[in-house]
Amino acid sequence: MSIISKMLKKKQKQRKNDNYRQKLDPSDPGELLIHRAYQENLARIKEELGNSSDLVSKEIKIGNIHGAIVFIEGLTESKVISNFILESVMQTGEIPLGVDYYQYMLDKTVALGSTKTITNWNDLYDSLLNGDTIIFLEGYNKAISGGTAGGEKRAVSEPSQQLSIRGPRDSFTEMLRTNTALIRRRIKSPNLWTESMKIGTVTQTDIAIMYIKGIADDKIIQEVKKRLNRINMDTVLDSGYIEQLIEEQTYTSFPTTYHSERPDVVSSQLLEGRIAIVADGSPFVLTVPAIFIQFFQAPDDYYSRFDLSSALRLLRIIAFFIALVGPSLYIAGTTFHQEMIPTTLAIAIAAQRENVPFPAFFEAMIMEVTFEILREAGLRLPKSVGQAVSIVGALVIGQAAVQAGIVSPVMVIVVSITAIANFSTPVYAMAVSARLLRFVLMVLASFVGFFGIMVGLMIMVIHLCSLRSFGVPYMEPLAPFSRKNLQDVFIRYPLWAMKNRPMHISEGNMVRTGEHQKPGPPTQSNKDTSQSKKGNQQ
Amino acid sequence: MKKQYLSLLVLISVVPLLGGCWNQRELTDLAFVMALGIDKGEKKKYDVTYQIVEPSNVSSGQTGGGGGAQGPPIVTYKSSGNNLTEASSNVTKQIPREIYYAHANILVISEELAREGILDILDKLERDTEFRTTTTVVIAKDNRAEDLVSTLTNLDKIPSYKFIKTLESTESLLGENIKVTIDDLLSAITSSGKEPVISGFTLMGSPEKGTSQQNINMTRSQALILADDLAVFKNGKLVGWLGQNNSRGAVWLLGRMKATNVDFDWKGKKDAVSTISNLSDTKVTFTVKNGKITANINIETIISLSEINRAFEIKNPNEIQELEKKTSVQIKKEVESSIKSVQKLKADIFGFGEKIYRQHPKLWKKIKGDWNNRFAEMDYQIKVKTYYRESGIRDNPFWSDINQ
Repeated sequence: MSIISKMLKKKQKQRKNDNYRQKLDPSDPGELLIHRAYQENLARIKEELGNSSDLVSKEIKIGNIHGAIVFIEGLTESKVISNFILESVMQTGEIPLGVDYYQYMLDKTVALGSTKTITNWNDLYDSLLNGDTIIFLEGYNKAISGGTAGGEKRAVSEPSQQLSIRGPRDSFTEMLRTNTALIRRRIKSPNLWTESMKIGTVTQTDIAIMYIKGIADDKIIQEVKKRLNRINMDTVLDSGYIEQLIEEQTYTSFPTTYHSERPDVVSSQLLEGRIAIVADGSPFVLTVPAIFIQFFQAPDDYYSRFDLSSALRLLRIIAFFIALVGPSLYIAGTTFHQEMIPTTLAIAIAAQRENVPFPAFFEAMIMEVTFEILREAGLRLPKSVGQAVSIVGALVIGQAAVQAGIVSPVMVIVVSITAIANFSTPVYAMAVSARLLRFVLMVLASFVGFFGIMVGLMIMVIHLCSLRSFGVPYMEPLAPFSRKNLQDVFIRYPLWAMKNRPMHISEGNMVRTGEHQKPGPPTQSNKDTSQSKKGNQQ
Repeated sequence: MKKQYLSLLVLISVVPLLGGCWNQRELTDLAFVMALGIDKGEKKKYDVTYQIVEPSNVSSGQTGGGGGAQGPPIVTYKSSGNNLTEASSNVTKQIPREIYYAHANILVISEELAREGILDILDKLERDTEFRTTTTVVIAKDNRAEDLVSTLTNLDKIPSYKFIKTLESTESLLGENIKVTIDDLLSAITSSGKEPVISGFTLMGSPEKGTSQQNINMTRSQALILADDLAVFKNGKLVGWLGQNNSRGAVWLLGRMKATNVDFDWKGKKDAVSTISNLSDTKVTFTVKNGKITANINIETIISLSEINRAFEIKNPNEIQELEKKTSVQIKKEVESSIKSVQKLKADIFGFGEKIYRQHPKLWKKIKGDWNNRFAEMDYQIKVKTYYRESGIRDNPFWSDINQ
């Protein structure tokens, strides 16, 4: 740790000696102010941006006054610039004497919704690099910044990772504003507050913190802001950077922040009192605090009826355990506890292993590692050769491997079940932790059998109970146990019975469902229906 | 400080390695003993036969490159010793793998040895960490245990399954045998009010041919293992057999009757009716009068009509009563003859002593010492109640139409 921080300090020192542009010190007004001569300003921009080729500057004449517009190609909407700036500038005739040219320009010429006046260079670069167009006027030590941000962006498309059978089909994009809009479109409440900040000393990435005032816990909001403000790093290219810098515990294989590419999921998290962190350039929105069971809640759970979704959630939890202990149970069973296997199966496995040259542990290790390689390769391969992988993969962990006498058929089945079970965890981050811990348990099982697996699982559970996410116990509501809070854990209660928000996450404003929400056959009086309408709370 | 923590972490992570796989055994290093046959030894006290499964010859699936000529599913090894431990140590000279008892599910004891006493073999079986006390015990009637254990069987490739499945099916369908585990055997031996009873198995055909693979390649087996009479033990020694007629009565009395068929005459035709008794309950209470103990045996059973080769009016209550009565009489007859033959052996296999102890604990203390003689002279009263419930998918038999 100390070595790393020392290195960081060294780097920072080096940076100061370098020649490139640093953010100017606001206490030094001489350097900061925009020059009255527009040509000076143009020259300075060009110099400071190193004559970058995507910088477009154009000298203009508005009536009888000279000026210039500057923008960065690609970040701006060129149609907007030509229609609402250039065209109106060119059509402007003589400006009457005695009028403040700058104000005239702002009021009558620039036909844009968002314009602002810029007086210092720091703001100027912020605007310019965000896609705004800067207009300098001769003789004014301020500039107009017109909101022309735009350019190429990816359209809202179907989610690629967190799929669901039923439910909305949109997903976040790389644009911050698109993402916040997708959330706000779902929660039309004035209490949905968005706070912005910039993180990344070089990348200047826009971050939006979203929460519902009155539901989210103020203490957690303050903590989130504190942790975000603490970040001092040059780069934030994805929300993953932020995740790693604000999580409570680095040395754990379990994710303590949740991320989703689905606006509906993030919206539901906000409504439970969580806080969303949207980073520009990342289609994954973080939500905190995150608890363990949250990673087994798929969006489908809430869109389909409670019986089915409860059953599927239990299945997912079982699958997680299979993915965790599958191969280690095989190792322990075949090398230590042969008496635990039913006789017929024991004989069948013994027969299959008759020609396998490796001990069970190595056999399992070979297959698991092979599968992991296959999985990783499948992820990285270009789509055009993807088919080759599936063909080769079927050979490596399939009949051919068995016929070659390297592994036994039952091992192939164990690996396959483990792999399939691993994919059933809705959130990749949690699936990965099972994938990793599996190998630890395999090693333990190979030394001391079931005993080792039990010790491993116990350590895992103790570790899980010690984790916290933004002060919220990770295993909540199982440890500390709260019966009232089990509405959405192993069994998802019917929607009308899920009356409360999860405890510890939203303190204070807990009730989310009104009374008498249970549907039923028509009753004679209209009393019930009128009550239910009133009951819905924010 | 940090260095110390680091070194502590390394030390802790090394701990699991210290075990060094001390108990690790690959499946392919084990010889699965499926059945154990114990005979009276020729030179030493015991001759023990180990039936060991040959895994690759059992599972028909692909074994990865192996294949080729299939051998028999089991092999047997024989060794001798003055106790079971010695025999089990001696046999390692012949077996290339470590002997593994955890999957043994049959213990065959030869009649010859059983008559001399089986007490000396039980402790090893109970004490061994691998051997299960849920293992079924059978007695090799008129045969050597070795022959029974070495015979190849059809349908169930592993012969030890043949024993168990045969026992289970005959117990639940015929009711002439019962499955006794080492646990049951031990509890009966240690109880003063109960003597053990064990199913016998016998070998029909030539023991020599039974060991050949040809035995399972033929539709008619040259050597066939089959369940036989019930062996009655007293003081850990076999004292007699309950034959076919008496063993069913014994099963009734033990309260372990699951289903059996009861045949009797109907309207002058011999054995014209067969009823199946499906659900039975046996209760035994004791009354004491003038120091004489009488056992009141109440048997209740639900029967269904399985076969009737005579005219029968199913809607006639009188006919049904007749049917019930005749079944009752038949059952009573079987039970009676069974009690008589067991009384002759003076071995209380029905656990009457235990029942007296529960019902009349004071009395039991007095008669405990002389129980076997008292059992032999005991009076009994048998009441059988039969309830007719179903008649299959026919009502009146076709005989009713023919006779008209």
